Amino acid sequence: MQGLLEAIAISKRFGATVALDAVDFSARPGEIHALLGENGAGKTTLMNVIAGHLRPDRGAIRLDGAALKTGSAQAALHAGIATVHQSPMLFERLSVVENLALGGFGTTRLALREVAQQSAAMAARLGFTLRLDQQTLDAVSIAERMRLEILRALSFGPRVLILDEPTGLLAPAELSGFLDLLRALRDRGRSVILITHKLAEAMAVADRITMLRAGRVVAQTTPSQTSAEELAALMVGGALPAAARGDTRDGRGDEVLRLAEVGLEVGGRTVLEGISLRLRAGEILAVAGVDGNGQHELTEILAAVRHPSRGHLLIEGRPADAAQMRRIAVIPQSRDHEGLILDLELWENLLLAPSLRRRLRWAGMQRRAAAMALCRQVIERFAILAAGPRQKAAALSGGHRQRLMVARALESRPAVLVAYDLTRGLDVRAAADVARMVREFAAQGGAVLLMSTDLDEIFELGDRMAIISRGRLLEVAPHDRSAERVGLLMAGAVG
Amino acid sequence: MPTATSSGSRGNIVAALGKPLGALAIALGIVALALAVLGANPAATFAALLSGAFGNWLAATDTLVKATPLVFTGLAVSAAFSGALWNIGAEGQLLFGALAAAACGVHLAQWPRPPAIAVVLGAGTAAGAVAGALCGWLRARFAVSEIISTIMLNFIAVQALSWAVHGPLMEPSRAYPVSQALPPAACLYRFLPPSRLNAGMIAALALAPACYVWLFYTNAGFELRALGKNPRAAAFFGVPVGRVAVFAMGLSGAMAGLGGAVQLSAISHRLFERFSPGWGYEAIAVALVARLNPLAVVPSALLFGALDNGAQAIQRAQGVSPVLVQAAQGLVIFVLLAFDTPVLASWRRRGAVREDLASGRADA
Repeated sequence: MQGLLEAIAISKRFGATVALDAVDFSARPGEIHALLGENGAGKTTLMNVIAGHLRPDRGAIRLDGAALKTGSAQAALHAGIATVHQSPMLFERLSVVENLALGGFGTTRLALREVAQQSAAMAARLGFTLRLDQQTLDAVSIAERMRLEILRALSFGPRVLILDEPTGLLAPAELSGFLDLLRALRDRGRSVILITHKLAEAMAVADRITMLRAGRVVAQTTPSQTSAEELAALMVGGALPAAARGDTRDGRGDEVLRLAEVGLEVGGRTVLEGISLRLRAGEILAVAGVDGNGQHELTEILAAVRHPSRGHLLIEGRPADAAQMRRIAVIPQSRDHEGLILDLELWENLLLAPSLRRRLRWAGMQRRAAAMALCRQVIERFAILAAGPRQKAAALSGGHRQRLMVARALESRPAVLVAYDLTRGLDVRAAADVARMVREFAAQGGAVLLMSTDLDEIFELGDRMAIISRGRLLEVAPHDRSAERVGLLMAGAVG
Repeated sequence: MPTATSSGSRGNIVAALGKPLGALAIALGIVALALAVLGANPAATFAALLSGAFGNWLAATDTLVKATPLVFTGLAVSAAFSGALWNIGAEGQLLFGALAAAACGVHLAQWPRPPAIAVVLGAGTAAGAVAGALCGWLRARFAVSEIISTIMLNFIAVQALSWAVHGPLMEPSRAYPVSQALPPAACLYRFLPPSRLNAGMIAALALAPACYVWLFYTNAGFELRALGKNPRAAAFFGVPVGRVAVFAMGLSGAMAGLGGAVQLSAISHRLFERFSPGWGYEAIAVALVARLNPLAVVPSALLFGALDNGAQAIQRAQGVSPVLVQAAQGLVIFVLLAFDTPVLASWRRRGAVREDLASGRADA
């Protein structure tokens, strides 16, 4: 078929992690093909392989039956495959037209006027507006940026347009216009590949749907043959533990953390709204949610680096002042950028935790010997593969970096442990070890607030469960914990 | 199975010394080549340089004199850079320090010597600290780049000093744009005349380990280094980023200001335009060659002091321009930075990954 894109038996590993396992995928001209899956299912990896940003370990890409050189973004673009990235890759300090000029308008010189004319014409054909007169991107909205990036991608005259989670940053009001744009592109004979984890979108706009889970294709279907419920169950893997363990566990302790109507605004945008929760000693509250729904900001509030705009926190029944806030230990999502300082030694990384920093100092001096001794203990007890406290954190593998973060949090002897994406990117054994450490902490009377994008982690560890979506927290009752229901809630389809 | 390499202390010392010395050797090699191409005799030129810097007692002590302000400013730059605070203003902070020291010192003729010296050095330190802390505060409060504010303050310092020696501090005969000489009571102790060895050098030598201890053994020093290595992580774990920036810039300025006061009180005794030949800028080179380690600042400052001192000699002996020495100083930095380029670093990392794979370490 003319313009058919085929990816055949694509496999890709990153270290010990299998990102893609013999995945077949195709896109036909004049169709919208939705690629669905959880975070980490392999969607973006597959698209990076197709767009030439990654070279697969095995497998081939064909366009019109002819093999495409893999691992060459230039070759893919030349053959007519253009990508719109998850977060727009734009130049903030350049004008709208200059940003467009970096596309493929085929002008030999930097003829900005020509670029502007062609862009305006193309935008008019597709029926959308873009303010081409903006000198920087300061005042350009997220939706406009997305249109700008789409226009730039289309300037290459692609036959296949890949959109990676394009709607994640769009406001609900902008969504229907955006989906109309995708339909307009399809009707002009392009192949549109839409990567998303939002089931409703896929159901609304796609002609075909492919579902990835853990690097494998688990379903190929069409909206008429399936339902949002069925897709949700497929996305999270169908077989979920019927009920999470802790519901039957008794002897829960006193309330240690309470959030009352906590809200947060950042730059005029509401990020968190009316978050209320109670956490008791000995229980793990698992909060599921897709990245960017306010988890990061909530983590920052609990780490005492951000103040809520509204509402308040109580820790062990007392208003959360600075000393009380140190009763919370936080394991941030990004271990290399926020959690650890890779260029410092292990014992110094332990001292990053505020309460350890306080405990291990005397008259402004660090108690080095005590810190080193503690670090040696931690290495021993948490089985961290390291030569000693003087080793730099950069020399640890990902799993051992995560162990170090968990060890540090637990060594601060907190009342509440907050973790965001506890086991992300870890192999099975490391993930199990880290999960066990957290479970033991809860068993000994600690309270845990676990936020995660990974439903397996949520179901495995959570005694109670909640969903965070667009900055709102919704507790899910035990009987309501079916895969369909959770998938729909995460996708923002209900509630 | 501890396969990860431990960085033992001996390995550290070899690595710490190896790179700067290697860079120096390569830089001198390039200079020798340039000399040969230009028709001068490299060996004779280097011999003249060496004898100018260390050839006799007076030359050697003068190298120490030239290195002293570089120790103060080098420490100032090392401390600030350790927190990724790019203090380019050691020059201005040193000048403010000298200016404040002169303004106080000329009034202390009737004082006993120890308190007079303390006031002079204290005034210099305080002036430098204020100049540094101001830039730290501008960064913390208004996100003004400290690179820009410190450079701008350098110009202000030069003009302020010029105004002072043409105005309020001008010597009584009003013939020269020079300040009145400090009264003997305000002058730092000197030893072993006719050399210019003085108590300021001892202060510089004592300041280096103090600075090292502050940076690597105190909580505040740790917070500064954490901020320098990863500001996001530092902020996430409650390091008071603004306060640390103000304090560290103030400390950095204080050391540079003290350097200016020591130079005035021990060596020049008078303030004049072009008081500093650029110690505050040379300090950046001194600190980079020392890889920001305060203890290594001392030998690094000695190296630069010796090159400065020897530069005069090669002109006299070989007719080679002293500019060549500046070129050599620049080359040392250049080669040293080249050792740390991403290309070389990634090449080394590849080697490390290969070792890990060979030792069968899980890539979790």
